[in-house]
Amino acid sequence: MLSFFKQKKNRSNPQQPKEEIYAHKQKKNRSDPQQPKEEIYAQKSSVMIDFSLSKNLEDIKRITGNSPDIVIRKVKIGDQAKTDAAVLFVKGLVDSRAVDEFFIESIMKSNHLQEKRTPEDLMGLITDEVIPLGQAQSMRNQEEIVDSLMAGNTLILIDGIDEVLTAGTQGGEKRAIQEPTTHISIRGSKEGFTETNETNIAMVRRIIKSPDLWVESMTIGQVTKTDVSIMYLKGVAKEDIVQEVRTRLNRIDIDGILESGYVEQLIEDQTMTPFPTIDNTERPDMVAANLLEGRIAILINGTPFVLLVPALFVGFFQTIEDYSSRVDIANGLRFLRVLAFFISLVGPALYVAATTFHQEMIPTQLVFIIAAQREAVPFPAVVEALIMELTFEILREAGLRLPKAIGSTVSIVGALVIGQAAVQAGIVSPAMVIVVSVTAIASFATPAYGMAISARLIRFAFIISAATFGFFGLILAFFLMIVHLCGLRSFGVPYMSPFAPFSPSDFKETFFRRPLWAMNERPRMAVGKNVTRQGENQKPQPPLSREMIMTDQKEGDTHES
Amino acid sequence: MSAYQLFTLILLFELGSTLVLPLASEAKQDAWLAILIAMAGGFCLFFMYYGLYHYYPDLPLTEYVQILLGSVLGKGLAFCYVLYFVYGAAAILRAFGEMLVTIAYPATPLFVINALFILVIVYMVYKGIEVIARTSEVLFVAMCLLLLSGFLLLIISGTIHLENVKPVLEEGLSPVIKTAFTGTLYFPFGQIIVFAMIFPYIKERKKVKRTGFLAIGMSGLILALVAAGNISVLGLDLASRAPFPFLASIQSIEVAGFLERLDIYFILFAMIGGFFKISIFFYAAVMGASHLFQVKHPSRLAYPMGIVVLLVSMAIASSYTEYIQEVRIMLLYVYMPFQVIIPVLLLIIAFFKNRKKVI
Amino acid sequence: MNRKGMFLFLLIISVCFLSGCWSKRELTDLAFISAYSLDLTEEGNYEATVQVISPGNITSGLQGGGGGSSSPPVIVYSVTGENLSDMDALITKKLSRTPYYAHTDLVVISEELAKKEGLPPILDELDRDIEFRTTTTVVIAKETKAKDLLTTLTGTDRVPATNIVKMLDTTEKALGENVRVNVHELITQVTSKGKEPVLPGFTLKGDPMQGKTVKSVQSTELEAAPEADGLAMFKEGKLIDWIEGETARGTLWTLDKIKTTIVSTSWEKEKKAIAYKVMRQKTKVSATLTKGKPKLSISTRAEGDIAEVKVPVDLTDPHVIKKIEKELEKEIKSEIEKAVQQAQKDKSDIFGFGEVVHRTDPKAWKKLEKEWDDRTFAELDVDVKVEALIRRTGLVNNSLHTTLKKEEK
Repeated sequence: MLSFFKQKKNRSNPQQPKEEIYAHKQKKNRSDPQQPKEEIYAQKSSVMIDFSLSKNLEDIKRITGNSPDIVIRKVKIGDQAKTDAAVLFVKGLVDSRAVDEFFIESIMKSNHLQEKRTPEDLMGLITDEVIPLGQAQSMRNQEEIVDSLMAGNTLILIDGIDEVLTAGTQGGEKRAIQEPTTHISIRGSKEGFTETNETNIAMVRRIIKSPDLWVESMTIGQVTKTDVSIMYLKGVAKEDIVQEVRTRLNRIDIDGILESGYVEQLIEDQTMTPFPTIDNTERPDMVAANLLEGRIAILINGTPFVLLVPALFVGFFQTIEDYSSRVDIANGLRFLRVLAFFISLVGPALYVAATTFHQEMIPTQLVFIIAAQREAVPFPAVVEALIMELTFEILREAGLRLPKAIGSTVSIVGALVIGQAAVQAGIVSPAMVIVVSVTAIASFATPAYGMAISARLIRFAFIISAATFGFFGLILAFFLMIVHLCGLRSFGVPYMSPFAPFSPSDFKETFFRRPLWAMNERPRMAVGKNVTRQGENQKPQPPLSREMIMTDQKEGDTHES
Repeated sequence: MSAYQLFTLILLFELGSTLVLPLASEAKQDAWLAILIAMAGGFCLFFMYYGLYHYYPDLPLTEYVQILLGSVLGKGLAFCYVLYFVYGAAAILRAFGEMLVTIAYPATPLFVINALFILVIVYMVYKGIEVIARTSEVLFVAMCLLLLSGFLLLIISGTIHLENVKPVLEEGLSPVIKTAFTGTLYFPFGQIIVFAMIFPYIKERKKVKRTGFLAIGMSGLILALVAAGNISVLGLDLASRAPFPFLASIQSIEVAGFLERLDIYFILFAMIGGFFKISIFFYAAVMGASHLFQVKHPSRLAYPMGIVVLLVSMAIASSYTEYIQEVRIMLLYVYMPFQVIIPVLLLIIAFFKNRKKVI
Repeated sequence: MNRKGMFLFLLIISVCFLSGCWSKRELTDLAFISAYSLDLTEEGNYEATVQVISPGNITSGLQGGGGGSSSPPVIVYSVTGENLSDMDALITKKLSRTPYYAHTDLVVISEELAKKEGLPPILDELDRDIEFRTTTTVVIAKETKAKDLLTTLTGTDRVPATNIVKMLDTTEKALGENVRVNVHELITQVTSKGKEPVLPGFTLKGDPMQGKTVKSVQSTELEAAPEADGLAMFKEGKLIDWIEGETARGTLWTLDKIKTTIVSTSWEKEKKAIAYKVMRQKTKVSATLTKGKPKLSISTRAEGDIAEVKVPVDLTDPHVIKKIEKELEKEIKSEIEKAVQQAQKDKSDIFGFGEVVHRTDPKAWKKLEKEWDDRTFAELDVDVKVEALIRRTGLVNNSLHTTLKKEEK
């Protein structure tokens, strides 16, 4: 174990010392006897590799169940090709070109290997001189070796050496970088994350080229062994939140992580809430923007959705585009989104409360019109509202998972059913259709899907409370929601800040969108030491305006006429 | 808890039920003046409570009472205070329920309305003072917007007739002062004593005094403005006859043919204010009881005490008329001793005790 | 599992579903009453009439509308009884839905009832009822049964109540001989010692029987139609007299309720030769007390345009304009004086002079209060000052009459 540690230290990538140490720590945690382990791992966790090549190969075959996608290429190396060696890799997981060209070919043809050497020297020689690949390290622990094989690395086993050399040849088929399908923006980068962690990290690094952008990696999931990386800006992110993220991630002991949603559910502050306390995005530029505000990104291999913590309530109403469009427009749109969220929450509930309890509050002409429309409708307003809302939700759910071609059919049928036929049949009133469709459209205006979908759920609770006690019930339900929201936290940061607790400096930075040149400080919620965002006096300073007299005219200035 | 949160809490607490019910109506068209005078009295009371807090910044009222008066007597008094807080919560809950039954839900049993309201309050109190304070911040903004837009609408709709407030001091100053010091001072201003249970949780200790004065001053001004507004809109006669004058004022709004029938404004005012007033009383009661009976987790007391408050609110009177009559009596025989006389005695004792220590 | 949570959940669910119907009213269970009228029967009981909207019929063009104008937009029900709440319950014998008063726009009280019983017994119920809005307009049925105003169908605005209220608004704005008064204002004035209310009068021109059928609104000239007519003057809650025409306008001048109106004045012996359109006006009433004896002064300042000229006048001459202004001032002053005189004759302080005195000198008011209406008000000195300003002369400078006159020469 000691020698392994030493070698590892020597060969570790000098640029990322933290990562390595961290990985080591992770391993330590895993062998903690208190944690329950699955049987198969318990057996071999401390088994070291043998000197005999054939036994090693047998072992690996046994562990992997002789799976055909594991390729064992036997080669002879060394002086007069006396020494037996084997190259192992998993088909499809490796970059086959790299394996063929740089690995097998160089091992077979290398001149260095022809010299007479002890088997012990061979290993060092191969690592140092033969393989032209970036990552290479030697291992002795059987479990680690198999894990490394499964991660897409290529192994070299040499007869007579109880060490295995692994080389990073990860590759294989992966999706190219495409435009993100969620968080679409009119203006801004068109790049979206892919399923591969390295690519994703690289995409963020391409935007933030600072050495302060620190990445820490770990594997989570005992069976899936998913790579999870946390990324933050050193000095900008608050150290204790970073520590909190680390501890929470380390706590996870689950068989598999298939999507970032798994991690989200395992590390969020409160599960019994409809509101998302962790943000996610598919856009590298959004991650970068959030990192600059001191947040921490959690990247999970296998999904393009990157988690961002801590997340605040107001954050779900901001888009990355707010910062690239003009101040007045961005602010207007932000208010519009909050308004739309509010409508999508209480729209049908207000209608139900007003028409069944508080008819006196509807303007006279309007109440007559609504009453006239409802004359033929056989149901109470609540039932009407629930029918329409349910139909709409079913329609949306059905349309979501269908192939695009059929999806449009569904929406046509739905539009006919909801819009036309239901009204003509006298099952619902036209006013109800208007309310439901306005609500539906409003619910699409929330940029974050997680927040929009919570509004959809809460809406039903509001409808029922409004149907039982009118505005009283509705307001009580609203109070409950606000109390609940105020009680939430995201990684120690109160969810409703900067509203409650109120902090004036953050309020103007997050709730409003100030001109870019005025945003001198980062929001304080998640930011550590480095608060200053930009230099002073960033306001554009064009040459003095000419006010009422035109002075200082240069040639070409007078093209107005 | 920050000073700003204390500010919003005090303001919402003061506006609580007072915005809804007629305030200082005995002073007729000078109600606003009576409120302002009572506000000045409120400053004195607050200064007194602050003095006590100054001596014992880490202890709530029910605790330092025991230090000042000795264990037995102190516990007795602390228990009385807990009862007073429970009664305070219950009385406002009752007023609130009565109002809703009268204006919007004539067929709904009072018990159900009270029960639902206390359920939400218990939920909030269960979550602790932090959540109460934060919620108050959020709803404070809502309250401000409502108040501003309400006044704006009243002005635009042209129903304000300032000449209704005249003549000022028709009967001289004495009835005004009498109203201020027999009623308005104790309700709402004297009720600030509940905050003696909350002061220890405030982090920014230096700001407590300034914040308190600011909040009381602001709430006094708003109440005076509302009282004057009610009279100028409704006329003296209607304003003094209406059980909910503010509702009547709001109902008179008619702007541009469609901004009318804004009763929802009133319900919102009443609910936001009532919500916090009851919550704070209730929170004080729960904390007091848990200190007194040495319950480790005060939140465990929230649900049972919620039921107590609910039952008390139902039991205090059989009709609204009886309730109003009872509150008048309570004002002098319960509110005054608990809010003025006992704190004065406590302050004197505290002064002498702490002087000894220094020497 | 989590038994406490389960219990709470069940509690909330049961509250939702068991209690659902307490104060709930579906729109289809409500009979929206657009207008409410009160008559006095020969036996001395009340006869209440409600005008119920049939929603399907007022919004033609909607599905299920029942064919627009073939059926009336409202249906009227009557019931007799001894107090208002009684009648409210009795009327359900005839109605399939719960009567709902929150959208009542109009209350009509018959002249007879207003004279004999007075307003106070009625007003208590209207004030106390939580459904009834105090912004509802009150009118007096003049020389006709109050019920007939409700049964008569109207043309432009299909709901008769809306028609009457809008008519009142329009005429108040354009003519200024009527004023819209709502329950809230009425109650304030009835209870105030220093002010008596006035209420607009409505009369029915034509045959009430004809007005009931849809046929009557299918012709271009209506067989029967309500018409605003005069102001009812009250004293101690009872109707005592009617104010009409220019006197009514004078009353509104004094009350500062005139928005726009047309004042005509004679010019060189030609009657009503020059019409003046008042665009803005402000009237102030103030009181001065000398030795406990009050003296009231009314000062009016009106601004407006020349609307019509029937005789040749040189409108380009500022001196002529000044002269016209003087004439107009005289005209307006006489209107106001007429109104004041009639009120003094009837001993009813409809202008709120008493309140003005109250505000000016509360102590003196204490003494005057008791016999204000009967003695002090009736003998009050009232000084009227009018200032009329002509701002513009319309789209023509000089009238065509001027040109015609020149040609004659």
